[in-house]
Amino acid sequence: MVAASMTAKSKSRMLVVDDENSVLFTYRMILEEKGYTVDTALTSQEAIEMVTSQAYDVVLCDLSLEQNLTGYDVFDKVRGSRPGTPCVRLTGYANEDVIARAENEGIAVLFKPIDVADLFQAIEDALRKPHASKKQASQ
Amino acid sequence: MATPLLRKVLDPAASLERRKSARDSTALRLLSAERSEEIFPILLEEIVAIGFPRAFVLQVDFETGEIRPGAALNCSSSYLQKFHSTLWASENPTVSALHNLKPAIAGSANSHGERLYCHPLIYRNRTLCWEAERERRHDCLAVQNFHGRRKLQLQDQVCTTCNMRAYANVVVVQLRRGASKGKVRELSSIIELASRYLARLFKVEHYFNRMRDMDVTISQMHTVMESMADPVILTDTHHRVVMLNKAAERFLKVPESVSEGGAHAVEFNNLLFSAALSSMSVSGTESHRDLTLVDVSEGEEVLFEAVSAPTSTSDGVRSGIVTVMRDVTDLRRADQEVRANLGKLRDTEEIVRQERDRLNLVIENVGDPIVVADSAAKVVLFDPLAKDLFGMADAAKHPALVRNQAKLDAYLTAFTFSFSDKQNKPLRLYHPGTNAEVEYAARSGKIYNARGQVSFTVTVLRDLSAWKKLEQLQLERRMLEMEKFAATGRLAGTIAHEINNPLEAIKNAIYLLPGKLKPKGEPVYDILQTEMERVTRIVRQMLGLYRNTEHVGPFDVNAVVEDTLTLFARQLSNSNVKVERQLGTLPPLVGSADQFRQVFSNMVVNARDSMAQGGRLVLRTRHLRATDGVHGRIMVVIADTGCGIPPDIAASIFEPFVSSKGEKGTGLGLWIVRGIVENHGGSIRMRSRPGRGTAFKLSFPVVR
Repeated sequence: MVAASMTAKSKSRMLVVDDENSVLFTYRMILEEKGYTVDTALTSQEAIEMVTSQAYDVVLCDLSLEQNLTGYDVFDKVRGSRPGTPCVRLTGYANEDVIARAENEGIAVLFKPIDVADLFQAIEDALRKPHASKKQASQ
Repeated sequence: MATPLLRKVLDPAASLERRKSARDSTALRLLSAERSEEIFPILLEEIVAIGFPRAFVLQVDFETGEIRPGAALNCSSSYLQKFHSTLWASENPTVSALHNLKPAIAGSANSHGERLYCHPLIYRNRTLCWEAERERRHDCLAVQNFHGRRKLQLQDQVCTTCNMRAYANVVVVQLRRGASKGKVRELSSIIELASRYLARLFKVEHYFNRMRDMDVTISQMHTVMESMADPVILTDTHHRVVMLNKAAERFLKVPESVSEGGAHAVEFNNLLFSAALSSMSVSGTESHRDLTLVDVSEGEEVLFEAVSAPTSTSDGVRSGIVTVMRDVTDLRRADQEVRANLGKLRDTEEIVRQERDRLNLVIENVGDPIVVADSAAKVVLFDPLAKDLFGMADAAKHPALVRNQAKLDAYLTAFTFSFSDKQNKPLRLYHPGTNAEVEYAARSGKIYNARGQVSFTVTVLRDLSAWKKLEQLQLERRMLEMEKFAATGRLAGTIAHEINNPLEAIKNAIYLLPGKLKPKGEPVYDILQTEMERVTRIVRQMLGLYRNTEHVGPFDVNAVVEDTLTLFARQLSNSNVKVERQLGTLPPLVGSADQFRQVFSNMVVNARDSMAQGGRLVLRTRHLRATDGVHGRIMVVIADTGCGIPPDIAASIFEPFVSSKGEKGTGLGLWIVRGIVENHGGSIRMRSRPGRGTAFKLSFPVVR
């Protein structure tokens, strides 16, 4: 059994969801260069299918996909079927309220345009989190 | 009248001889009498001369009614005393003779057995007395007695014309025994002769007396005239002066020691007087004229009112004019003064009336209800608008008016008896038409009298609902501004959002570029990188502008403050920032609660950012009341003990894209805050000491 605490870059699989093709493409390239395995989805439907069929180490999802705030659908699905999977919200709504709320709730949020360093940091933070439920899921 | 004269008897013999010529001489002798008293003695002498022993005259005293002996000849006083009698002793022959007015012989009445011849005499004359003649009267006593037309009582022997009391006498002659009838006839004729002469003399004396009486009367009148202070002038029908009193002489008679000017003045006075007389004499009755004469001795002018009346004789013929002049100088002067004062009073009245009209005009046009009350808090004046609110005294019908009156009474009483000169208080009254509650701001002042006591209070009521409407309009305008502001934000946000996505891709691509470029492309890559970062920053700032303003209405500022502090509680405690709340009681503020949330969020974050090592954050809210009791302000203070704002950017801290936070700050935070504050009609001020801390003071107007 692979130790869940091993955060080997090569092993980490992540899902990036965004409705912009170019964004997806460039993110995939950046993350793959970093050594992660990356899956992408353009729509929330796609993302939900993928989450259902596969477990990910991190799910990064834009809040506004084909419709405003449909990213939440994805997060709900993750929480439902893959509990314990760390999520990172990508959003363009950068105001202090949202920041504060996110901090209070302990949810990772990244504000577009996203600084790549911040992106890596957020991913590493997410991977460091204990995946108790993932252990369960993988078992 | 007659004095008892006792004449000695002449020699009897001699007298007998002279009898013949005696009769002729009797008349002569009687003629020689110049006074009526002399008649009887002469008569008695003649009687004795023709042979009668004795004779005397009895006189009637009309006042006492006594009959007394007067002149007598050959009679002793004791003898005469017997004949002392009264008018009412009619059994006495002498008295009865008098009453009968006929001579009579009384015989054997006394102890001597003598016979007495009694001859009564009263004043009788054939012709009228002169006065009666002049006045053409026929009731002269003398004539009446003569004709015997009316039997006059002795008591009536008074002349009606001149009120003169006539005489009544009885001549009593003792007859010798055996005296013949002829003798008696002779006696009688002598007596009658004497009576005629007596009557004539009496008539003259009577006139003399009358004249003397008249003289006395005239001099009395003269004295009266002289004593009168007013000039009195008597003039004849030709306006010639008949009589002047002393007062008149001062004006109309030239005094001795006077200048020529004085003499001219007196002449002039006379001229004026004559002129006045002429005009007055035209009217037949009493008339008056005003006359200004010069008093030469005093040298001043005197104003007279000349009152004149015509005088006429007893038969109605005009005899002249009597003029009395009253000094009315003072009177006229007083009258003029009174008139002048009356004129001044009228002018003052007019001025007062104008002022009052002007005041009424002002009051009517002020446009606010005005109430004037007296020192007992009782209303003395309502302007028309106040009348609508409080009604007239008797309008107890409408309940709204009654309530309003009650409230007004309470308000006025409280103010009038308080110690303040002025006050501003709200007063809630009821609109009579709709019964809706209307809030007024009552502004009252006191008017003091000269003694410093309250004489009146004036209260002006300002309809706050009008103000409120105004503020409502202002608020709506502000909200519109807010909307525009928000819309702008939204627009910016939308644009930014649209830009965001391509930007994301470009950014990622730039990141991926290194290693894939030719070495020559390195500086170009650097440029790409730098500019990319700049664009990123701008877009981030613009996305920060996006806000969703939902609801505008009254909200509690304290609640928003609490929400914000709750929101940032963890962050603040993590940063070691101690929060102090000093929240006062606040009225609701009309505006956007969401926008206020943003304001406080921005400021709390700024404060937190300035206190990286921790510190203290103070949030204070306070309600400041205004003097009119209605308009106030909400003050909010957000102060920290952080690093402060450097003075070089402090001045422009509220401008967009100015930040003290370096790259972390959007530079728009305070700009947004100021925009929101101003949209709510408020103001924001900042004070900062680098190294000590920063304090922001926000102030918003609020209408209670």
